[in-house]
Amino acid sequence: MSVRNTLKAKWLWYSVFCLACWAPFTFCAKLGLREMSASGMQFLFTLGGVPIALAVLAARRFKFERNRKGTAYGLAVGVLSAIGTLALFAAYRTGGNTAVITTATSLYPMVTVVLAVGFLRERLTLIQIVGLVFASVAFVLFSL
Amino acid sequence: MHLPPWYLYAAIVLIAWGVVGIFQKLATNHISAGSTLVLLIVGFLLFEPLVYPGSALFHYSARALAYGLIGGFLNNLGAWALFAAMESGGKASIVAPFTALYPLVVVLLAPLILHESVTLPQAIGVGCSLVAVVLLSL
Repeated sequence: MSVRNTLKAKWLWYSVFCLACWAPFTFCAKLGLREMSASGMQFLFTLGGVPIALAVLAARRFKFERNRKGTAYGLAVGVLSAIGTLALFAAYRTGGNTAVITTATSLYPMVTVVLAVGFLRERLTLIQIVGLVFASVAFVLFSL
Repeated sequence: MHLPPWYLYAAIVLIAWGVVGIFQKLATNHISAGSTLVLLIVGFLLFEPLVYPGSALFHYSARALAYGLIGGFLNNLGAWALFAAMESGGKASIVAPFTALYPLVVVLLAPLILHESVTLPQAIGVGCSLVAVVLLSL
C-alpha cells in the first residue's frame, strides 16, 4: 500500500487518535494522583468512562447481543481491567518514575502471549520469543 | 535485591491485563467489539462501591476531579478508537503494535509535563520495553 493510500486510510487516523487519547490519560492520572488516592482516582476514572459506554450503546440503538458466554467473558475483561487499572494508579501513587512505570506496565502482552500458549493452544513465534527476551532485560534494568 | 516500591503493583497490572488479553479474544469470538467495550465499563462500575473514597471525594480540588474524569473519558475513548481502527480495515498486526507505542509519547513528554528524569539503566530499560511491546503485539 502506498504512503498516500495509507494516509487516506481511516484505520490509521483512528490509531493516531487512540495514541492521542492514551498518552494524555497517563498525565491526567499521574497529576490527579498527586492529590487523591488510587481508589479515588479509580472511582472518578470509571465515571469518566460512562459517557463512552452510553455513546457506543446509543450508536447501536441500545441493541445488545444476548450471548451468555460472550457476556461472561466481556464482564471478566471489565473486572480484570479494573483490577489492573487500580494497581496502575497505586504504582503511580508510589511516586516512581511515570515513564518507567508506563512502559513497564505496557508489557502486559508478554503475559497474554505466554498464557495463549497454555489456554488457546497458540504457538510462540520467533518474534514473540525475541520480544519476551527484550521484556525480561527491561525488568532487570528497572530493578537496578 | 531491593526492588522499587512500584514493582509489585506493576506485577499485578501485568498479570491482570495479560489475562484480559485472553478473555478479550474469547469475548470477541461471541460478541462484537462494541459490546465488549460496554461490558468493560460495566466491569469497572461493579467496583465503584468498593473504591468510593467517601467524604474525601468532596475535599478534592476541582482540578484533581477534572483529571480523574477526563482521564477515564480519554482512556475509554482511546479503547473505542482502537476497536474502530480494527473494524475499519486496520490489520491487527499493524494497529496493535502502533497503538501499543503510547508509552513512547509519555516518555517523550514526561520531562516537559511532569519534570521527571530517568537514570541511564531506566532509559535503556524503556528502550527495551518499547521494542518488546512492538515485537509482542506483531
